[in-house]
Amino acid sequence: VALRLFWWRTRSGSGGRARHLRPRKASATSYEPAPPEPLADDMIAQCLQTRRFGMVVSNRERWAQRADVDGAIAEASRQLRQRFAAVPEGFATLPESVREIPGSPEVDVDVQAFRLAVHPVTNAEYQFFVDAGGYSELELWPRDLWPQLPGFVDSSGCQAPRHWREGRHDRRRANHPVVGVCYYEAAAYARWAGYRLPTEAEWQMAASWRLRSLAHLPRRFPWGDALDTRRCNVWATGIGDTAPVDAYPDGAAPNGVQQLIGNVWEWTSSDYEVTDDYGSPVVGDMPMKSVRGGAFDTYFPAQAASTFRTGLAALVRANNVGFRCAVDSDFVAEPAAVGESLRERM
Amino acid sequence: MVTDSTTIAPDSIPCLVCKKGNRPKATQCVQCNAPMALVTDSAMQGRTPQVVTVIGESRAGKTVYLGFLLDILAQRASQFDAIPIGSFSVELQQGVMSHLAQRRFPQKTAPQPGRWQWACYEVSRRGSDRWFDVLMPDMAGEALAAEIASPDTVGTVRSLLIQSRGIILCIDAAAAARGHAQPDLFALKVMSYIDSLGGSKRNRRVTTPVAVVLCKSDYCPEAFEAPAEFAQANLGRLWSVCESRFECVEFFASSVVGSVAYSTSPAEPDHVVSIPLHTAPRGIVEPFEWLVDQLP
Repeated sequence: VALRLFWWRTRSGSGGRARHLRPRKASATSYEPAPPEPLADDMIAQCLQTRRFGMVVSNRERWAQRADVDGAIAEASRQLRQRFAAVPEGFATLPESVREIPGSPEVDVDVQAFRLAVHPVTNAEYQFFVDAGGYSELELWPRDLWPQLPGFVDSSGCQAPRHWREGRHDRRRANHPVVGVCYYEAAAYARWAGYRLPTEAEWQMAASWRLRSLAHLPRRFPWGDALDTRRCNVWATGIGDTAPVDAYPDGAAPNGVQQLIGNVWEWTSSDYEVTDDYGSPVVGDMPMKSVRGGAFDTYFPAQAASTFRTGLAALVRANNVGFRCAVDSDFVAEPAAVGESLRERM
Repeated sequence: MVTDSTTIAPDSIPCLVCKKGNRPKATQCVQCNAPMALVTDSAMQGRTPQVVTVIGESRAGKTVYLGFLLDILAQRASQFDAIPIGSFSVELQQGVMSHLAQRRFPQKTAPQPGRWQWACYEVSRRGSDRWFDVLMPDMAGEALAAEIASPDTVGTVRSLLIQSRGIILCIDAAAAARGHAQPDLFALKVMSYIDSLGGSKRNRRVTTPVAVVLCKSDYCPEAFEAPAEFAQANLGRLWSVCESRFECVEFFASSVVGSVAYSTSPAEPDHVVSIPLHTAPRGIVEPFEWLVDQLP
């Protein structure tokens, strides 16, 4: 009897179930939800509060009757000039083959002067979009996407980026780029704020700084031709997570745009369209959008270079993809002169 | 060069995997092709080499996982210092790296053990004086399947699993998340096979630590958030056998590729080629770290 009991105990373990295999609850890491910030009732004041400067400038006619509109527009323009750096006209050479090896077909795309956000959109900025009901404003979203909207939820089921909880970001990450948003969430935010996403040619122009007036040599990285882990957050940097958007100021482009390389991939408004070695189209499981710049987990330096093209399914809400906004050059009252941004940097 | 065992001198060195006697200067075992460098190096260091085996179904992602594990270890980018023993140890990771850098997946591992690539590494947790040697072969899924279906047909597989001090079982989590039963059933067969290797010890649980790696978890982010819960929900058969027969099992999620696209060749329109667009390794070292902590 003792032997049988021993056999039973050793075979089935305590109570017939091994304790070591009980699923652990999802990581109980501490999460400090950002406290709610009351939004102003007045629309202009709310736009300025939520950093929708593009919305203020583009609604000049709508609010023309208000006495405070000139002051608001002046403030919004000032903010836009400060937060969006001028990118001069130039061009981007986009490889058309997925292999991107020398001799592969490529196409030159002209890029008009425009302004690009100095930083990617942060969690704190995206929180305004969530709090203002951006997910419920259907006009911000393509009609055929409306059935998908209820699925854009965070880890607790609230409509928010994938990794948030209860619709709030972790306040310790307020200044980190927002991630866990798909292309459509990025585009909706940009539309809500009065901006747009850059095209991939614009993004590449800003990162490679390939001006018409210079020799046709793009920079592989905004600071030069070799990866420098002191200037960007990629896999080799060793952080393994996102960093604040103002980290790595030495990695900025000549006009002051920061973190084009590393930290998070950035959604662009362009479809990802390349061919394989035989000229056949390369497709994904679902339509793909171009993402640029590499992320904190990008392993190969070449894949973080300014000219590297890659794509991601537009509905993916990954932990390493964020976005930054752009505006047309004539959006700001004064014309966007590249010298303006450069002077500010000097 | 193959040598007839009858001509081997009495001072022959037994292979770590199959125990076949080999000439002292042999670089590979004449029987199973395992590298002999580990045996000779460990003998010089006075250490007992540890075999860690990465196994799984064909196309589960073993080669890519192992290649990245070795590459990350070699860069001292984890909690380990790792030094390859012999240049042959670098070939697997070199092949995986060069393929993925060119947006290609490596070719499938040949089923014949003689064509596998082996990696021997001297490993130490940083800050520790204790070094140990690990032998990690890139085992073909077909060979494992053949051995499971008909035991003793691929003796190298059997020998490796008997000698293993730790096992990394790779499972295609993306397929499991899509509701395919095959990953679960194959894993159940593998675990049952490992259980059967104990022979007369079947009245005890298997004590060899097994790290179950849910590969391709970028397709199913919930696996990253709670790997064990994912396994319980999507790999119920595996979960059950682990619970009842294995003493030391842990679940991990991993992924290597950040985005995959597809193309078809005009010559073979039915043949779809997967293209890894960019690479973002995640959860690669954790299973190995855990396994090392379990080693005696």
